[in-house]
Amino acid sequence: MQAIHANQHHDGPALETDGLTKRFGERLAVDAVSLSVPRGTAYGFLGHNGAGKTTLIRMLLGLTRASAGSASVLGLPVPARRAQALARVGAIVEEPSFYPHLTGRENLKVAAAVRGPETRARIDQVLHRVGLDKRADDRVRTYSLGMRQRLGVARCLLSDPELLLLDEPMNGLDPGGMLDMRRMIRALVEEEGRTVFVSSHLLDEVEKTCDVAAIIDRGRVIAQGSIDELVADGAGELVIECDDATRAAELLAAESTVRELRVEHGALRMRLLAPEQAGEINARLVGAGVAVTRLEPVRHSLEERFLEMTTRLEVAA
Amino acid sequence: MSRDLTVTRQMIGADLLRLRKKRGFMALVLAVVLAPLVIWTGYQVIEHASNPAAYGPAGGLDHFGKMLSLLGVFMGPVAAVLIGAEAGAGDLAAGVFRDNVLTGRSRMALFLSRIPAALAVTFAVIGIGYAFGLAVTFGFAGGLATPSLSVVLEGALWLALANGVVCVIAVGLACLTGSRPGTITALIGWELILSPMLVQSSSLGSARNGLLDGVLLFLKPGPVQGPVLTMAVAVAVAVTMLWAAVLPALGAWRMQTRDA
Repeated sequence: MQAIHANQHHDGPALETDGLTKRFGERLAVDAVSLSVPRGTAYGFLGHNGAGKTTLIRMLLGLTRASAGSASVLGLPVPARRAQALARVGAIVEEPSFYPHLTGRENLKVAAAVRGPETRARIDQVLHRVGLDKRADDRVRTYSLGMRQRLGVARCLLSDPELLLLDEPMNGLDPGGMLDMRRMIRALVEEEGRTVFVSSHLLDEVEKTCDVAAIIDRGRVIAQGSIDELVADGAGELVIECDDATRAAELLAAESTVRELRVEHGALRMRLLAPEQAGEINARLVGAGVAVTRLEPVRHSLEERFLEMTTRLEVAA
Repeated sequence: MSRDLTVTRQMIGADLLRLRKKRGFMALVLAVVLAPLVIWTGYQVIEHASNPAAYGPAGGLDHFGKMLSLLGVFMGPVAAVLIGAEAGAGDLAAGVFRDNVLTGRSRMALFLSRIPAALAVTFAVIGIGYAFGLAVTFGFAGGLATPSLSVVLEGALWLALANGVVCVIAVGLACLTGSRPGTITALIGWELILSPMLVQSSSLGSARNGLLDGVLLFLKPGPVQGPVLTMAVAVAVAVTMLWAAVLPALGAWRMQTRDA
């Protein structure tokens, strides 16, 4: 696959929004969202259904006007320079649609005609890239949902885009299809240096696929950062298994660095002021004659963090 | 400039591809045009064969005139409406309109490419019907008079005008409404029922000069069937151009404003 095109004169974020807001009458669909999507990353945009993900994507693509705030795509302000920006962007909004009576290749011919003459030469290449070369001459009405999603990505790649915006690309896919899509997105980022912005409500898939993510809830971005940073909020939480949990709990209760100590299913769970204090805790227990059989920092999944954050907000509301 | 021309040519080609590859639809459109011609001609051939004294040959000038009416006023426009509606709203129905808009290509360019594609398909289909009609006109003329070459050419131009205008109107209305069934129902109802009734209503007087059917019958070459309105050619041309411009303009406006 050809590397992304040479006209990458923009070094800033692939996508940037500042206070982007969309109001539908009284309802605030997107509330002052400020995002910065680094180039060359897979960026997950997480949120429940109806959280405002698609509305934000539609504003970024100039399909709907923002009520307030600004956005730039590949350094170009949208909607002011939408056409130039979109020439370097591939996007699937909601779900990829095709003419069912045409073959996959013919659908790409139609798309290439709209994109420009140079894209036509890339049809075979992109079909191969998404693994549809053997089914390219079958009518799209015979394609599975996963194949349609891949054909949608192929259509995005026709213009050799620097940035791909994929709205819920895993929706409706079976586990095999999800794995294919995940691998494809990773390859687009790692092998071809593209930026892929993936909106999804499938937290596990975003955690496995993306480098960076933002979490949107009821129109507001409530967290953003690398996946490690997002899940690292659980850092300092420790689980210890030992031969005498009750005695160990008594010993550690007096430790000033230990918080939220409890015994669960025969194991000790606690939160430390700093993760590096785990070694001191181990030494304290061993020194007191407690045999430690397991000491493990707790790693939260993105799903747990997401639910924790959104539940917290619900409670606050 | 040459890149723009290439893009325009490719976009028209793409619209043409999506129309002609819809095989069931193409078969229907061809059937709409050819089936009445074949049935009518076959009936006349059988009639003439069974009783030549009472029934004349199936071809000749009279057949030519009726064939023009069939292709230019009745079944031809029905086919043109079907093609125009498909060309105008096919991408909306398939959900591809948004993907086309996402390319950054201007919506006007997306709209304009449909018209030549729809016209090309319409002319091809009507051309097949006309070729069949001419074969009967000359092949089954017996001793009857046949149209001259100039009348044949005038007939071709008139058919192109009559069906072309209807096709362009259908593209415009389909873009305006975003609905193929709605466009087909409205325009076929107009073309086959309402408009012929209004043309026949002498109480409407010169107001009928504003009806596309009336104008097209006025411009029709060859033998005349039915009532023909009287008007200046300039009026006929102006009315035709107005019909061909208003609905496409509304369709183009809707394409610009439609939510993708």
